[in-house]
Amino acid sequence: MAPGQRPDSLVLENQIAQLESATLARIHAAKNLEELEAIRVDVLGRKGSLTQFSKEFGKLTPEERSSAGKSLNAAKQSLESAFDERKQGFASEALEERLEAEWIDLTLPAPGTSPGSLHPVTRIQREIEDLFTSLGFAVLDGPEVETEYHNFDALNIPPEHPARDMQDTFWLSDGNLLRTHTSPVQVRGMERLGPPLRMIAPGRVFRNEEVDASHEHTFYQVEGMMVDRNVSVANLIYFMKTLLSAIFHREVTVRLRPGYFPFVEPGFELDIQCLICGGGGCQVCKQSGWVELLPCGLVHPNVLRMSGIDPEQWGGFAFGLGLTRLAMMRYGVDDIRLFASGDLRFLRQF
Amino acid sequence: MKFSYNWIREMVPALDIEPRELLRLITTKTAECEGLEVVGAALALASVAQVIHVEPIAGSHNQIAIVETERYGKKTVVCGAPNCRAGMQTVYIPVAMTVIQGVESDGMLASGLELGINRDHTGIVELGGELLLAPDSVIEVDNKSLTHRPDLWGHHGMAREVAAITHQSLRDPVQLELLPKGAAQIGVQIEDLALCPRYSALVFENVTVGPSPLWLQYRLESIGLNSINNIVDVTNYVMAEIAQPMHAFDAEKLHGKTIFVRSAKGGENIVALNDERYTLAPSNLIIADAEGPIAIAGVIGGRDSAIGAQTKRVVLEAACFQAASVRKTSVSLKLRTDASMRFEKSQDPVNTVRGLARAFELLYQVSPGIRLIGGVADCKADLKTAPSIDLSIEWLIRKLGRLVTAEEVREILTALEFGVTETGPGSFSVSVPSWRATKDVSIKDDLLEEVGRMIGYESITPRPPLIECAVPPDNPARKYEREVRDLVAARGFTEVHNYSFISEEMARAFHFDPDAHIKVTNPIAADQSLMRPSLLPGIRRNLIDNSRRLNSFRLFEIGREIHPRLEGLPEEIPHLAAASFAREGDGSVGLFELKRLAECLMPRCEVQPAPARKYEHPRRSATVSWRGGSIGRLFELHPSLGVEGRAAILDLDLALIERLDQREERYQSLRRFPTSAFDLSVITGLRDPVGSVEKLLARAAGSDLVEIEFVRQYTGAPLPEDRKSVSYRLTVGALDRTLSSEEVAVIRNRIIDAMREAGYELRV
Repeated sequence: MAPGQRPDSLVLENQIAQLESATLARIHAAKNLEELEAIRVDVLGRKGSLTQFSKEFGKLTPEERSSAGKSLNAAKQSLESAFDERKQGFASEALEERLEAEWIDLTLPAPGTSPGSLHPVTRIQREIEDLFTSLGFAVLDGPEVETEYHNFDALNIPPEHPARDMQDTFWLSDGNLLRTHTSPVQVRGMERLGPPLRMIAPGRVFRNEEVDASHEHTFYQVEGMMVDRNVSVANLIYFMKTLLSAIFHREVTVRLRPGYFPFVEPGFELDIQCLICGGGGCQVCKQSGWVELLPCGLVHPNVLRMSGIDPEQWGGFAFGLGLTRLAMMRYGVDDIRLFASGDLRFLRQF
Repeated sequence: MKFSYNWIREMVPALDIEPRELLRLITTKTAECEGLEVVGAALALASVAQVIHVEPIAGSHNQIAIVETERYGKKTVVCGAPNCRAGMQTVYIPVAMTVIQGVESDGMLASGLELGINRDHTGIVELGGELLLAPDSVIEVDNKSLTHRPDLWGHHGMAREVAAITHQSLRDPVQLELLPKGAAQIGVQIEDLALCPRYSALVFENVTVGPSPLWLQYRLESIGLNSINNIVDVTNYVMAEIAQPMHAFDAEKLHGKTIFVRSAKGGENIVALNDERYTLAPSNLIIADAEGPIAIAGVIGGRDSAIGAQTKRVVLEAACFQAASVRKTSVSLKLRTDASMRFEKSQDPVNTVRGLARAFELLYQVSPGIRLIGGVADCKADLKTAPSIDLSIEWLIRKLGRLVTAEEVREILTALEFGVTETGPGSFSVSVPSWRATKDVSIKDDLLEEVGRMIGYESITPRPPLIECAVPPDNPARKYEREVRDLVAARGFTEVHNYSFISEEMARAFHFDPDAHIKVTNPIAADQSLMRPSLLPGIRRNLIDNSRRLNSFRLFEIGREIHPRLEGLPEEIPHLAAASFAREGDGSVGLFELKRLAECLMPRCEVQPAPARKYEHPRRSATVSWRGGSIGRLFELHPSLGVEGRAAILDLDLALIERLDQREERYQSLRRFPTSAFDLSVITGLRDPVGSVEKLLARAAGSDLVEIEFVRQYTGAPLPEDRKSVSYRLTVGALDRTLSSEEVAVIRNRIIDAMREAGYELRV
């Protein structure tokens, strides 16, 4: 007891303290939000037991009133925070309970349609398009039905040239033909864009040959060409190495050897060191250590000239890459007929 | 083309590289080799054998033969050959001891087939002296990689390459000085020197026709040619050696003393050496005598004038024919021969007399007593020397991207028998040998290849080019197709690729106009004879094939329709065809799935009922339009097309969509004032499209309409059976204020009135 305090006020403060501790015990014991609210109304409500104490303040001296007021406020604050705490406790318990009840088995399959897939040739084609676009090449399209001129003559393959035998051709009733390679798009590219030129032309090509596990009459190729002031064999090898390393996701070793294609001079067959055996010799490379991959060469001056480009000023390289063949290599497909089979058991794997 | 290693070594005597390594070198520097084969392997152990004694084995055609062999001493063997007799000289091979009909046979006597020297298996080899044959290696070169090289269709040409690659010297098998001077015994008349720039011939008498000596049979056999008789074999040997096709006529069977080289007359025909009769056209060049055709020029000889056992006099032809003419004839007669394959590559007219000289030398060896009469008949065009080519070392270096010296260049070209004259520091004038000048080499770029391949492309270091950087021209159509592919695949459809061909049967099944197709004039199969004017027949096939295995699936193709045009190239229209198949159900799910797909591709596109095409379900077909243009169809495939189950199809013209997509749309500013919404239910006929109700409501609402949203449709009591109720929620508002409830009511009533005026009942 503080010195000089009157017993009345002491009794009052004592009662407040008792009520506070009794209420704290009740708060603690409350079982739910409703019980808690009832206690709060009972103690802190307008007619609550703690609120009632202030009515007794009239009997006290101002000093006593101030002291008792402080005690009352302190008790009120302490109880309010105890109520809040308990309330939050109930809320989080309820949340816990709800969350616990809301268990979902996420290993169940998602409803609705599962995604489809792109054709393997489309996938390979995109990779190549993206690679060349990043190197500043345009991606061009050309017609699948071509004129004899664009498919042969403009590529330095005049009528009766034996090279026409190398590409068995489908001829059409309107006098045109189905392009046997994507090379005519070179010609169209040169005619349309002129030099300097960097372009690729992916697309569908046709050869009149019997279909079996390794031959198709319809397949996909990508043609590539660069025409600039100074283009050398060294540049061609660089590009092919870069291209193939990107396609196969590893450093590849390439070699050029002579190959004959009338629209290039010199013409090359490009081989890559066998990726299966690393060059030691295996079944895939027929024990040679090398796999023939693509024809390429420096653009024949006649081809440049026919497209209105002066071969004394400009030169270039060109290559043709079989996309279907590449898809076979990439995915280990051993029957080319699967690509045009429309068989979803095959196509859904990509 | 097959090359005998031993034959090449006759012309490159110092050749000491193993066949397999030679194959690698030829592949990397000259032409692609496809394989290596050892022939005549048995010859390694073979020995000459004298048959001393023969006795029959009872009950068998076999005999016991005792032979004295040169390498293995006396041997006893069992032999079944009918010609096995005492006193003959033949070939013995020491194979493992076997017991035949109770008799031990220690080795065997061999036939030509068993030794690999010819195809004769009727008896054992009849030897007339020493056996000088050895095993050989045969390198097979891909014919395609020889397309531009007439010289490589003979061993001498390949030997020249080998000599240049290995830095050895080359021996020419031809001794031109053997040819006699003097007047020819036969005349030659060429109608068109462009088609036949040279025709040379020799006449021989006192000819004996018989089998060739074994060495000659073996040579031909090893490179895949069949031995016929000594005279014909010589012509083939010369062809395989120096790439000059030759032909021998029986002179007694020719009419007149002149050979004519002329175009065939319409209706003329000839029975060729293959016993086939060919009817000739004026585009076919022929060799004729006074009576008519005796050979098809550059392709095949005639049967009636062929060498036979009785032949005593021979006219030997060595000619040069225009490549295009021979090719055309060979293609039109569907007859490719060793001769036509060579002439197609533009043979060297200088070579004809070389062929005669070489054949002359060989005939004296293989037909003892043969006599040449008269000199060479040689009718020819003015054979021009090809102009020299200027070549600068600086240019070569720039094109190769590697240093080369003038000395290296001179060495390489000289080894390949080009004439090299230095015209200044670092510059040459290069003359082209006749056998490379017919087509193959005419410009400096061709010489670049000669230098490049011989120095070896592997000696060039890869180098990035120095070029100006620039943004490549855009290809929006391709970009658009890519987006479409991604979206369609993400929505559950799997991409297929179908052929660009369809069958006539399919065209009929789809009721396509037969004139709307471009036909393939040489289809690979009867069911692939038309160019597709639609992707749908292909999609139908995919549906049928996959429905055999799956109960439901989705697939799509992006490909080109091909439509004929009156002039120029046909029209190629990129289309998307997507299909959703379900074996069970009423089919609506698939159709709405595809409608939603169309909406994803083209937000706010419209699907309008439209008269069905023949291949569409007549009550389930619609056009799809967008931004004012009709861009495709949505339908269920007609059940008559053979798909068991429901197949919903969306067929869109991607070119059109891509064009419409370029139209710009303006942004609309956001509303600042609240809007109000109310529902309206319209009673309409059971089969009246809901879409037209929506359109009418929207039109009646006019500019106050913010949004109209379908809520539900309802059929059943209390509505009559042929009616349905369609409910829409309409949201209205103004841009500059909040509409009062009175104003909203006015709008609502206006709409109701308008609908009633249009004949609709409303449930209000």
